[in-house]
Amino acid sequence: MSCRIIIVLCLLVRLCPAAQLPKPRVPADNPLTPAKAELGRYLFYDTRMSVNGKQSCATCHRQELAFTDGRPVAMGATGQNHPRGAMSLVNVAYNSLLTWNNPQTRELEQQALVPMFGEHPIELGLRPDSQFFTIIRSDATYKPLFEKAFPSNADPFTISNITKAIACFERTIISARSPWDRYHYNRDETAISESAKHGEVLFFSQPLSCFRCHGGFNFSDNTMSANSQPEEPEFHNTGLKNQQGKFKAPTLRNIAVTAPYMHDGSLPTLDAVLDHYASGGHNNPDKDPLIHGFNLTPDDKKDLIEFLKALTDEAVLHDPSFANPWH
Amino acid sequence: MTNFLLRCTLLAALSFGTSAAELTIKGDIAAPLVLKTEEIAQMPHETVSIPEKDGTTASYEGVPLREILKKAGVPFGKDLRGKALASYIIAKAKDGYEVVFSLGELDAAFGNESILVADKVDGKPLFDYQGPLRLVCPNDKAGARSVRMLETIELVRLQK
Repeated sequence: MSCRIIIVLCLLVRLCPAAQLPKPRVPADNPLTPAKAELGRYLFYDTRMSVNGKQSCATCHRQELAFTDGRPVAMGATGQNHPRGAMSLVNVAYNSLLTWNNPQTRELEQQALVPMFGEHPIELGLRPDSQFFTIIRSDATYKPLFEKAFPSNADPFTISNITKAIACFERTIISARSPWDRYHYNRDETAISESAKHGEVLFFSQPLSCFRCHGGFNFSDNTMSANSQPEEPEFHNTGLKNQQGKFKAPTLRNIAVTAPYMHDGSLPTLDAVLDHYASGGHNNPDKDPLIHGFNLTPDDKKDLIEFLKALTDEAVLHDPSFANPWH
Repeated sequence: MTNFLLRCTLLAALSFGTSAAELTIKGDIAAPLVLKTEEIAQMPHETVSIPEKDGTTASYEGVPLREILKKAGVPFGKDLRGKALASYIIAKAKDGYEVVFSLGELDAAFGNESILVADKVDGKPLFDYQGPLRLVCPNDKAGARSVRMLETIELVRLQK
C-alpha cells in the first residue's frame, strides 16, 4: 500500500468520530473534508499567522495540554492578556456555543475571526492587509493545499477559506479514547480504578450534582450533535471571588491536564476546584443556586479526582494527526 | 477450583453491585415488599429507547413500575377510585434524591404512563452511578424523574 493511500486512510479515519459518539454537527456551507482539515492543521500551527511572526493558534491551544495553554489567562502576540483562559479545543465540534460567555458565537468559522483580527484584546494581531495573506498565495506548501481543499474556487486563498479550513481541523480533534471511555463504552472493568468508579458515583450524586452542569458524553452543558436540536445555552456564575457575569460549563474531558481552572484561571489544581465547590463559593447575588456546597471526605475527594483523571485521553494528546505539520 | 469460581462470582457481583441490591416498596400498603435485583431480573421485561439531549439514544430494559407496585398491593384498575386517587408514590434513590408520581399517572385508565424500573441499558447492567436499578420515564421531556440508584418506593395516601 502506498504511503499516499495510508495518509488518505488516516485522514478519513480522523473525520469519523469514535463509534460510541454521535456524529458532530457540521455547517452546510463547510462540509468536512480531509483536504480542508489538513490545510487547517498547517494554518493552525503557522506562526507566520501573527503580527509578531511567533504565535499561532497552537500557542494558546497546545496539543499536550488538551489544546489549552497552561496559563491562567491567555496572552496575545503583543503581550496583552486576554481576560479569560484559553478553552480546550478537544471535542469542540460538539459545542453548541463557543467561548466562555458569548451566546452569539456558535460557529468555529465565525469564532476564528476573533483571535485573528480581534483588538480587545489583540490575540494574533492580524489585519486584512497583513503579509500572511500574500504569503499563502505563493508558498510552496500552501499552494497545493489550498487548491486541493477548495478545488472549485477560482481564488481559494481567501480569509473565508482560511477560517473554514481551521474550523475543519478543529472539528477533527475528537477525544473518545480515555480510560473512562473504555470502561463506559467497551465495558472494560479494568480500565479505571475502583476509586475512580466511586468518584463517578459521587460525580452523579444528588449532593454534589456535578453532572447537572457537566453532563452528557462530553461532560458539558452545551453539547450538541448532528442529531440533536440546538438549545438555549445555560451560563453559570460559579461564585468565585469578585466574579461578575455567567459562564458556560466547559467539557471535563482531559481536565487533569488543563490547569489552572475556571474562566479566570484562578484555581490552580483540581483539589482547589473541589474545595471551592464544596465550600459553596463566595457570596454573590448572581451565584448559580446549583453552587450550594457539600461535604466531601478526603477519601471522597481523592476518588472524585481519580474519576476526573480517568477522563484523560492520552491518545488525543499525542495523536500525530493533530500535531504540528511544520516540524 | 470451587474457590476460584466463588471468587469470580463475587468479583462479578461486586463489579456492578448487583448481589446485595434491593428495591423496597413500603408505606401505606397492605403488603410491603422487598425485591432483590435477581427477582426483578426474573420478571417480564419491556424495552424503551430514550433519545438523549446530546443526540445519542439509550435502550433500557426493565419491569413496568405498575407491575411491581401491583405485586405489593398498591391499588390499580377497579381499586383506584375515590379516596385512592389521592395517593402518590415517592421514588427515592441511594443518594437521597426523591421524586413523586401520582397513582393516576401510572394507571392504565388514567395517565397510563409506561414507567420502567430498568436494570439494563443497551443490553448490559447499569453502571454504579445509575443502578443497579433506575426509573425510566419515556414520556417525560426532562430526565429528572428518571431516578437513578433507585432504592425505595413509598406509597402515601392523602385520604383514607
